[in-house]
Amino acid sequence: MVTRPNYDETTNYLYFWSGLVIKEARKHGVDIYDLIGKKATKKNFDSYLKSQKPDILFLNGHGDEKTITGHDSEPILESGEKEPVNKAIIYARSCDAASVLGKKLIVDGARVFIGYLRKFIFGYTLSKMTRPLEDSLAKLFLEPSNLVVTTIIKGHSAQVAHEHSKKVMLENFKKMISTMATYEEKYAARWLWGNINSQVLYGEKSAMV
Amino acid sequence: MTTINGYQDLNKNQKEELKKIALARAQVMPKNLNVSIGSETINKSELIRHINKEDRIGENLMLIELEFLRALASGAIYRNE
Repeated sequence: MVTRPNYDETTNYLYFWSGLVIKEARKHGVDIYDLIGKKATKKNFDSYLKSQKPDILFLNGHGDEKTITGHDSEPILESGEKEPVNKAIIYARSCDAASVLGKKLIVDGARVFIGYLRKFIFGYTLSKMTRPLEDSLAKLFLEPSNLVVTTIIKGHSAQVAHEHSKKVMLENFKKMISTMATYEEKYAARWLWGNINSQVLYGEKSAMV
Repeated sequence: MTTINGYQDLNKNQKEELKKIALARAQVMPKNLNVSIGSETINKSELIRHINKEDRIGENLMLIELEFLRALASGAIYRNE
């Protein structure tokens, strides 16, 4: 199951870039439930979670230590609730959620939580705002984060996916601080370093689907 | 990798020095660049405002600046092969 609301600049970028994961998943014959735009509500999320028990939850949206949100910042997962996460592997491309909520979701029954201890950050190019997939700067941040899910879909473990994603982030980071990088890339490199330091995995490292 | 748990871990002098560095770096942020952090999308002038206010976003961005500079200085970036 994928949540990808689209109501501001940040969610618009995540919406388009998570679309590439969906395409890849479909190529591998994976059934997708896509909570797209306004469909990313708590009601739809809970309904599908309980009825279909998805193996992977790929969550894109704003968040904080205790919450991950859907459309219009409606909370869809909260640390104060017992969430029916059904042994899912969860990747939350959302701010801060690893620090409290991620650990709580493991207690609630998720097999894995991959997310960020601090803010998930990405740089983007103003002139590409209306065409996020053409934004080569945003690509340096969002393509390696997509790898968390696409690597799992290809049959690898959660730990391999987490490490592969961080490895590619690091490769991008090194390109960004090299003499070949543009000024924008060099400047944005510090933010990617923040994501590398902040991405963590909790739960069953060997979990696969 | 060098990780600082929080802005509150720094003493007053460290915070002042970090703020100066972060503001100086923010002044040279390219105009065609924005950053998405939390629920905000920030341009150069907003970045400066958050750092000046030392609000949650400003603290986060200053800590990232500090970790980045420490990693560059220590060579940690090149050890993460």
